[in-house]
Amino acid sequence: MTVRTRLLDREVGRALSSVSAAAKRGLGDPALAELVVIRASQLNHCAFCLDMHLAAARELGVSEGQLDMVAAWEEAEGVFDERERAALALTEAVTVLTEGFVPDQVYARAAAHFDEGQLAHLIGLITAINNWNRVMVSRRIEPGGYPS
Amino acid sequence: MTTAHEAPYAPEHSPRLDWAKHAPEVYKAMVRLDAAARRGLDPTLLELVKIRASQLNHCAFCLDMHTKDALAAGESVERIIQLGAWEESRHFYTEKELAAIELTEAVTVITDSFVPDEVYERAAEQFEEAELAQLIAAITVINAWNRFGVSTRMVPGHYKAGQHK
Repeated sequence: MTVRTRLLDREVGRALSSVSAAAKRGLGDPALAELVVIRASQLNHCAFCLDMHLAAARELGVSEGQLDMVAAWEEAEGVFDERERAALALTEAVTVLTEGFVPDQVYARAAAHFDEGQLAHLIGLITAINNWNRVMVSRRIEPGGYPS
Repeated sequence: MTTAHEAPYAPEHSPRLDWAKHAPEVYKAMVRLDAAARRGLDPTLLELVKIRASQLNHCAFCLDMHTKDALAAGESVERIIQLGAWEESRHFYTEKELAAIELTEAVTVITDSFVPDEVYERAAEQFEEAELAQLIAAITVINAWNRFGVSTRMVPGHYKAGQHK
């Protein structure tokens, strides 16, 4: 395998962290934030990000049942509530933009469970983890570096 | 008979949400991130990267903005038009630009696959390491703007070149 750069400009790293922190703070639901971040990292195949956020979710007390089923949340009725399901549907739509916009019904479903401020921060959070997914996958940063 | 020219255009849509107003700290951090990621990169190359990522992510607002900025900075209409088919119009671009555009596609479409070694290697041949790290950051940042633009359905057509510089 090609050796890839590990470089990440310090100011870029700080700003990436600020985007994530501001979005998470504004959403105000740390457990839901981890579910969103884990689902996006699955779609983007980010091993480093999955390792880090599965550990963070467990620390927050997110159930093993939810962590097991987040990849198949649509088929796991009863494991996630309607608010979580709306957030996960939006996460998938905003993550997979290359295959087609963010459908009206997905947006409306999220808007029914989150007020405008929460929704702006939820979109911010989905975007922020997409940032980390790209920066980590491109440089092939290996999982396991995250202190538990 | 009505020609296509006489028929009215479809009505303009409204944005879904003024996300920057509702999440000002996120917006401020994004502006800082954008400024940090573009340092050390050639502005001409950067606009090509932004236009190509915005095409792949279907961000109308971002295409409006970055094609206008590119044209105002002296980019040619031909190079902008050919960007959607760059693999068949390689002689419009330098090898360095081609490597950057190819990396842009791989980093943008990561849901389909990782970033292939041969794509990474071609970029690593054209860019020294710190510049390559900045290029990866810049591709990431336009992907972020694309996500905000598309999910909140920002309206294209009103941007004036240089407005966000």
